[in-house]
Amino acid sequence: MIRLDNASYTYAKGSGVSNVNITFGDDEFAFIIGPTGSGKTTLLRMIYMDLMPQVGKVVVDKYDSSKIKPRKIPYLRRKIGMVFQNYHLLEDRNLFDNIALSLHVIGFSTNEIIDRVTESLEEVGLGGKEDRYPEELSGGEQQRACVARALVKEPDIILADEPTGNLDPVTSFELIKLFEEVNREGTAVIMASHDYNLIKGRGHRIVEIQDGTVRQS
Amino acid sequence: MDKMMFLLSEGVKNLWRHKLTAFTAIFSTFLTLSVAGSLMIVGQNTNKVIEYLRGKYKIEVFFNENVPDKQIATVVEEFNKINGVRSTTLISRSDAGKIFKSQFGENILDIVGYNPLPVSCVVNVVTFQNDKMNVMPIVERIKSFPEVDEVLYQGRLIYRIETYYQKFVQVMTALLILVLVITVLIISNTVRLTIFAKHELIQALQLIGATRSFVKAPFVIEGVLHGLIGATLAAILLIAGVEVGSDLLYSVSKFKIQYSPFVLFGILSSLSIVISFLGSSRAISRFLK
Repeated sequence: MIRLDNASYTYAKGSGVSNVNITFGDDEFAFIIGPTGSGKTTLLRMIYMDLMPQVGKVVVDKYDSSKIKPRKIPYLRRKIGMVFQNYHLLEDRNLFDNIALSLHVIGFSTNEIIDRVTESLEEVGLGGKEDRYPEELSGGEQQRACVARALVKEPDIILADEPTGNLDPVTSFELIKLFEEVNREGTAVIMASHDYNLIKGRGHRIVEIQDGTVRQS
Repeated sequence: MDKMMFLLSEGVKNLWRHKLTAFTAIFSTFLTLSVAGSLMIVGQNTNKVIEYLRGKYKIEVFFNENVPDKQIATVVEEFNKINGVRSTTLISRSDAGKIFKSQFGENILDIVGYNPLPVSCVVNVVTFQNDKMNVMPIVERIKSFPEVDEVLYQGRLIYRIETYYQKFVQVMTALLILVLVITVLIISNTVRLTIFAKHELIQALQLIGATRSFVKAPFVIEGVLHGLIGATLAAILLIAGVEVGSDLLYSVSKFKIQYSPFVLFGILSSLSIVISFLGSSRAISRFLK
């Protein structure tokens, strides 16, 4: 469960989010929609505690932003899989190593890592491309690799920040379908997007954000 | 265990991934440790020279006439108890006569008809002492015995040698500290360059839940490897240099450079581990603040 209680964050140069009160359920699929600069990324960053609310608090599972010690934040992030618009894949290692990194951080054994990475790549349709480097993959494949990296640790929550921003419409729909499959298996998915056409009519909750203020539908 | 192996292999792989910065760090460490190692060898051999010179310091003590030999022997035993005295040699009148004969080729009895030479004693001072040696307290203590008539020693020469030695030790120590500080800063800045180049990796690690120590470990391991490789190269250069230099010096002055290759390598590698650990920890900690 994710809960934001009156959470506000303002950057030094202005903008951010103010007085956000919102709750996401354990297996919910929600879209956060709003134009560029409306505060979608700030909201997600507060959830994975990259930004701490200056007013109010964020509670994710047992982790409360008003009480959490900095050394505990990595343990919260291990429960969250993150997918970004710009992929954030490491150019100096192949697909296998990029995805395995999440598991090395947690401390999985080598055998478990091999099994999980292989399974995860199969799940996103990248089976057999373990040895490819990010530059050898298309944008859609790179984004699916990011999803694989997020899924491989079997997180409770997937946070996706404009994951379709660099993808064509067909690949974007495929990605959303992939998230829906993940959600059906019990993982909460919160995806930020500025493209209303992409998300409308899919039957998921839509949270609208405008100038840092949240309106729900 | 797998996590440890992963961190270790990441540290080793980083050497290859960051070739240019690795080369810079290794070369800088190699240069500074070569200077540090040279200073250590020079320092060690200066110690041998000063110990040799101190072995030549001697205080000659002449006893009053009419002091019985037994009493003189007791006083000489008291000299041995003075702090800084290594040994004493009692020279009886007859011994003094023999020395006179060996030096001048004539018997003193034949010249003046009796032996006017006093009983004396040579006091040798300790040779091993890290700081400046002051023989004055020893001389003052010896003079305080009523049986003593006169004390002769090379006061001015000893003072000069000891003063120069003290200055030399101070300069060497300051240079060594300076070199080590420079090495720490070089390693720290080189690792910082690597870190700036790898900020994406650090960001990714933090986002997937890596703890501070997990993020730091590969960079620290990489830094320590830079140091160890630099130290090994410096040790090889110094050992080769000393071996060649020692043979040349021996052919000219019969002086053999004193050093142990194993001790030198041990000191340089330990030093490199400490300074590269400090340098890389400092760099990554500053970045993660």
